[in-house]
Amino acid sequence: MKIKSLFNILPLKIAYAHCDIPCGIYDPHQAQLAAHTVIRMTQLLMEIKREGETKAEHDVARITYVKEEHSSIIEGELETLRNDYFKEEHYKEYSNLNDLFVKTLKTVSKARQNIDIVVAQETLSGILEIAEIFYKTKGVIPVRVKSIYPTGGEIVVYK
Amino acid sequence: MPLLARFKILGHSMEPQIKTGETVLVSSIPYWFKIPKIHDIVAFKDDTNKILIKRIIRIQNGKYFVQGDNKNDSLDSRKFGYIPKDKIIGEVIYKL
Repeated sequence: MKIKSLFNILPLKIAYAHCDIPCGIYDPHQAQLAAHTVIRMTQLLMEIKREGETKAEHDVARITYVKEEHSSIIEGELETLRNDYFKEEHYKEYSNLNDLFVKTLKTVSKARQNIDIVVAQETLSGILEIAEIFYKTKGVIPVRVKSIYPTGGEIVVYK
Repeated sequence: MPLLARFKILGHSMEPQIKTGETVLVSSIPYWFKIPKIHDIVAFKDDTNKILIKRIIRIQNGKYFVQGDNKNDSLDSRKFGYIPKDKIIGEVIYKL
């Protein structure tokens, strides 16, 4: 009789080594939308007029708040895709994918910290590349189209 | 707090060390003599009193940050935050 089988007298209970909630709903759209918002907020901060100081301060506060909020959305969405959706085989197939996440998450931080339109554009650019890889892993063809937002940049959709 | 309990594991978050369907022994006895430390695999109760197992990664202000070894596919402190010590029911001491 194996020693291990002695433990069979103990009642068997269930413990969960929980995976993330397996909803299967992943989409890079939200990150793209948030990146456009960060670009737009950066543009608006650059356009603030200093005619009325209180009004200007008020506008800066409101716009900065939205820029912060959407930078957080980008970080959350990218981490979800990075940790929950993309698997080892994806990282093997797209060898630049992890670097793309690292680089884009760094640019999000910079876009949050500064009023820098170049960095904000770089953030969107990284997200578009991630979105293209995402759609490829889903077996659909990614397409870049001009956005309908005042930022004028592109978004990645699929066909 | 079980002196010794047998748990069947469901889920992939502790792979490769503990695979889904495997059975482990959990005991509270080790924590009579020491406090839970980093790298311990612990069983603990979540907010719904369901038993989860994860590994302790960080300890801060007496609370524990737990994470699955398979961190690409794990629901853990990255989502639900630090857990208090009184939620830990024991250490995973043996894989059957």
